[in-house]
Amino acid sequence: MKVEQLSDGIFEVIIDDRKILSTHNLYPGHSVYGERLMDVDGIEYRQWDPHRSKLGAMVLKGFDIPIEYDSHVLYLGAASGTTVSHVSDILTDGLVYAVEFSPRTMRDLIKLCDQRPNIIPILADANQPRSYAHIVETVDVIFQDVAQPNQAEIAAINSKYFLEDDGHLMLSIKSRSIDTVASPKKVFKDEVKKLEGDFGVEFEVLQRKELDPFHEDHLGVLARMFVDEDEE
Amino acid sequence: MKAVTWFGTLKLSENGDVEECSLLEKDPEQLAQHMLLAVENEELPTHGLDLRELALACGFVELDEDYDVLLREICIKAAKRQISMTDTDDKRIIQAVEAMDDVDKAANELSERLTEWYGVYFPELELTAESMARFVARFGSRENVPEDHNMFSKASSSMGAELSLVDEDLLRNFATNLCGIYDTRKNLEQYIMANMGAVAPNLTNIAGAPLGARLISLAGGLKKLAAFPSSTVQVIGANNALFKHLRSRAPSPKHGVIFNHPFIKGAPWWQRGKIARALAAKISLAVRMDAYGGKLDPSIKVNLERKVESIRKAHPEPPKKQSTKVTQPGPGRAGGRPAKKRGGQKKGGMNKGSKNTNDRSGGRPA
Ligand SMILES: C[S@@+](CC[C@H](N)C(=O)[O-])C[C@H]1O[C@@H](n2cnc3c(N)ncnc32)[C@H](O)[C@@H]1O
Repeated sequence: MKVEQLSDGIFEVIIDDRKILSTHNLYPGHSVYGERLMDVDGIEYRQWDPHRSKLGAMVLKGFDIPIEYDSHVLYLGAASGTTVSHVSDILTDGLVYAVEFSPRTMRDLIKLCDQRPNIIPILADANQPRSYAHIVETVDVIFQDVAQPNQAEIAAINSKYFLEDDGHLMLSIKSRSIDTVASPKKVFKDEVKKLEGDFGVEFEVLQRKELDPFHEDHLGVLARMFVDEDEE
Repeated sequence: MKAVTWFGTLKLSENGDVEECSLLEKDPEQLAQHMLLAVENEELPTHGLDLRELALACGFVELDEDYDVLLREICIKAAKRQISMTDTDDKRIIQAVEAMDDVDKAANELSERLTEWYGVYFPELELTAESMARFVARFGSRENVPEDHNMFSKASSSMGAELSLVDEDLLRNFATNLCGIYDTRKNLEQYIMANMGAVAPNLTNIAGAPLGARLISLAGGLKKLAAFPSSTVQVIGANNALFKHLRSRAPSPKHGVIFNHPFIKGAPWWQRGKIARALAAKISLAVRMDAYGGKLDPSIKVNLERKVESIRKAHPEPPKKQSTKVTQPGPGRAGGRPAKKRGGQKKGGMNKGSKNTNDRSGGRPA
């Protein structure tokens, strides 16, 4: 078995010509959502299923992942933590603030937090960044997967609050949660345009790609926030 | 500028420097409590702050790691507390209503099996559902029916097959378990009866506990139900009927589970739509009072009764129009059961109840 590193904390374990996306398991011996655990030279890797994770799909679609081992990440739409667990694996010296607004789902997420020291759970609505502005510090990266009609706005207002100058935003845009009739292409274009200027923050879009075949009707976006020096 | 943070309240200068810190005690319980209460606070930061830097600058913590460890502990505590607060009384009612549905499904299935199975040994036994289960659990083989039992003559002259001891044991055990399920159903029903008055006194007063609980469950909570306009309340639970209508291109259903209210059920078909509208309006009113902690106000029910009476008086005869032929929707999926079960000798619960939908619940002259 061979291992290749793709970016900080993200690997491909190669077994018989098959490349398996994975992360170092921060909590060895435990699988989070039924994924495979692999031992290579005494280090345990955890398979990362790109079909169950937008971020995982973004890795395989060739995005430059801005998350480093010591990043501080704000994760919006954490759900029960499938992807958050891999982010937690990556952040050996970092921290992820995991925001989720469904209490039922948060119940599962907390179980994950109990096992991992670098996940900070926040039960709140990502539409109201002010409601957690007393908790979340300035972060290096915001990752968002909320599947809501106003996803561009949510990303923008959270960036305005919490993203450091020149920080990175990674966004999964679901075309069908916005408009079930319009073509995905049009929805993507409109959302990215909104992001680029409608909410008083500006972004430079670095990469944008559809996440098929892992996720249909989803667009991945990587952007860097501009700071408008004239403002304020 | 003053800013409330999770570790204390800070006074910051124009350019963001700390002028004053009033720090909280490093007690996790208190910090978690403060974190939750702060959400109501006016002085939450209006823009993001580098909280970690500030906490270090104020001397709340000395090391980055201390900050992480403490914040994580407190956030977990706070989130757990928030979650436990979401287990409100109406959520418990919803669990009970949904459990009742599950129990009904299981009971139907098992009782069908028992009927068929035991029918081999005692085909003349004309019992169904619960009474059948109780009978089999009690006697097992028909040979055990005592002389003074009203089934005795049927049992002794039955054309049914012989029942071996092993099979008898098996059947009896099966029936006993089924009885347990019927008991559970009664417990759930009693639970709803006993608790609805406290959860939603006004709704319960107008709709009755089973129907009120059903409405809360379908809406997903008391507050959600209160947010619906009364036109929606009128059709909650009509989904099954709605689909049927969509398929057969018949008019949309006029009422959902509130159809099971005795005022509507007992009314002739031409009055039902009007009564449903009046009832839905009063239910909305009642629920809104309940959602905001209101006490029981008997006048809502009095007014409803008056209104229904006037509808009855105003429309004593069916309208003269020749009836347009439309398939009529049945009552909503779940509604009837709570009331229906009370007779004891029902036939298998909901399945049958909602299959024969040839009543006039939906089509209604304008
Ligand atoms: C598509 S799922 C996220 C899956 C997750 N990112 C993963 O890969 O494991 C979207 C989640 O966002 C949550 N969500 C939606 N709107 C939200 C909001 N306004 N604030 C916080 N969470 C939200 C939903 O409850 C749901 O759990």
